[in-house]
Amino acid sequence: MIRFAWRQFRFQVLVVTLLLVAVAAVFLITGPHLAHDFAELKGCKANGDCNYLDNAIQNGSNKIDNFSTALSLAFPALLGIFWGAPLVARELESGTYRLAWSQGVTRSRWIISKFAVVGLASMIAAGLMSWMLTWWASPIDTLNANRFGSVVYDTHYLAPIAYAAFAFGVGVTAGVLWRRTLPAMATTLVVYVAARDTFDLQLRSHLLSTLKVVSKLSRSGGYGFERTPNGLHFLVSVGSLPNSLVLNAVMVGKHGATVTSQWLTTNCPKLIGPPPSGRTRVGIGIKGGGTAPKSFSQCVDKIAANFHQVLTYQPASRFWPFQWIEGSIYLAVGLALCAFSYWWLRRRVA
Amino acid sequence: MTSALSATDLGKRYGRKWALSNCSLDIPEGRVVGLVGPNGAGKTTLLHLAVGLLSPSVGSITVLEQTPASSAEQLGQIGFVAQDTPVYAGLSIAAHLQMGAALNSTWDAQLANRRIHDLGLDPSQRAGRLSGGQRAQLALTLAIAKRPSLLLLDEPVASLDPLARREFLAILMEVVVDHHVSVILSSHLVADLERVCDYLVVLAASRVQVNGDIDELLSTHHRLVGTPRDLDNLPDTVHLIESSSTDRQTTVTVRSVDPIMDPAWSVESLTMEDLVLAYMSQAEEQRRDLVRSKGGEP
Repeated sequence: MIRFAWRQFRFQVLVVTLLLVAVAAVFLITGPHLAHDFAELKGCKANGDCNYLDNAIQNGSNKIDNFSTALSLAFPALLGIFWGAPLVARELESGTYRLAWSQGVTRSRWIISKFAVVGLASMIAAGLMSWMLTWWASPIDTLNANRFGSVVYDTHYLAPIAYAAFAFGVGVTAGVLWRRTLPAMATTLVVYVAARDTFDLQLRSHLLSTLKVVSKLSRSGGYGFERTPNGLHFLVSVGSLPNSLVLNAVMVGKHGATVTSQWLTTNCPKLIGPPPSGRTRVGIGIKGGGTAPKSFSQCVDKIAANFHQVLTYQPASRFWPFQWIEGSIYLAVGLALCAFSYWWLRRRVA
Repeated sequence: MTSALSATDLGKRYGRKWALSNCSLDIPEGRVVGLVGPNGAGKTTLLHLAVGLLSPSVGSITVLEQTPASSAEQLGQIGFVAQDTPVYAGLSIAAHLQMGAALNSTWDAQLANRRIHDLGLDPSQRAGRLSGGQRAQLALTLAIAKRPSLLLLDEPVASLDPLARREFLAILMEVVVDHHVSVILSSHLVADLERVCDYLVVLAASRVQVNGDIDELLSTHHRLVGTPRDLDNLPDTVHLIESSSTDRQTTVTVRSVDPIMDPAWSVESLTMEDLVLAYMSQAEEQRRDLVRSKGGEP
């Protein structure tokens, strides 16, 4: 049965293989060059200004990076849409399930073989794509030091493999329920994107309880003031801890006090300019002295003296636990969807 | 004598609608069974239940004394040609034969290849490009080459032109003779079945109306023609199937094991088509009565 499942699946495998080969070719041609530039940059950073090399790496690879990242982000979804959704839907739609299920192979074995062949192939394909991109982009990733960013996190290492398993499960389930290929494909796209978005934005940062770090106001990040009809606000950018997932940054003073509009009005009277018209920003991201008005830096000094900056974050060391946990969740949901489809095909279809 | 298909109070329901109900049958092995009925009578439902594509809502069914699709061995004993003879449009004929070989432990590759050769088909041709007749032949080849004990065919000739229809049935008969398989063949056209079947099941309005050996059925069913009269006076051994009257004469179709001796009737024998039509109109009348008694629209 496995051989026949593979035989039916040959053409789709060929298409994806060609795609992977094309990506591999591009990476193999440009990869060594990128790695070379990066090595040079490392050597040069020891003794001075290397911005030109920094820029060369970023610019030279940008187009390929953008394209391959976009492709890698979409890849699991594409596998779910073009491999998962039609897998059973096409048989049900064209009526060939009546041929397939009357051969000398039980329906259970037919379903399990199909799911195993195409599901595993999806995971392998996604794994190959992830592995190639992880290898090729490693200089860029080192430079950007943002492993938790979705550009890296969602397309590198283990996560894409689990996404592919999930997308396959969604595709198969949609196909089994719709019993028609096109609506199943469309449903797969919508469900996959919605699920991934929700997870990325709502769930991922809470997979493990967050850490807090208290520090003096970091003058290297962006900060500034904002005036709204509700009053004055002090803003701190979340700044960056290398390779960490920073969730927010707040200023906290004695007894948990925060920088309120009232505090600003009292302590930084000179900051108050003309009456606000809508949302007016008074200087933001100006790093000390120089062009900033004196009142601005004086006020920042006062804030720094009275408040601490509290960063809520997930540390860089949690990158792998996060990949494993998130991967396990997606894999488990994918398997559960396959199990549901199996049950539905055995009990409810035809 | 083992039975090819045996059903007890079998029923299949979709939502609130019964596609098949109160179906009790016992078809012996070694017969060529015609399953006749109008479209939507439940023929496909019964065959799908027999292959295990469907499971019963109520009652039970066994095929070759086993639960349908209960094991690979059981499935291997059944050759099924589904309605519209589905095949994989994108796969070649050769790939279909490979599928048969891979999925059936009893596959007879020699038989399959010879049949494709005899049919004049090119094994490298994609199934999607075959004519309806050729596709039906491919589907039949797949069903036969697994060397089944029972062949189930769901309206295999419905979409074929008369020539292809005759050819298909002729080949089917060859197979029956060569391999001693039992066959259950459904059709809504009696003419298709008349030549090949020796056992009849009439399915109408989701119920089995009559079933049995065709010769026996024909010898126990009669058409009586006489002057108009009260039909209640028929002897107890005579079972009324259908009647129609004009001012001058009454025609009734009856089942009676004993010969009808009443000189008031002139007794005519029935053709298979007459028999089937009589039972179908009986079913239709009962359905109308049922609808009327429920107060619904006919």
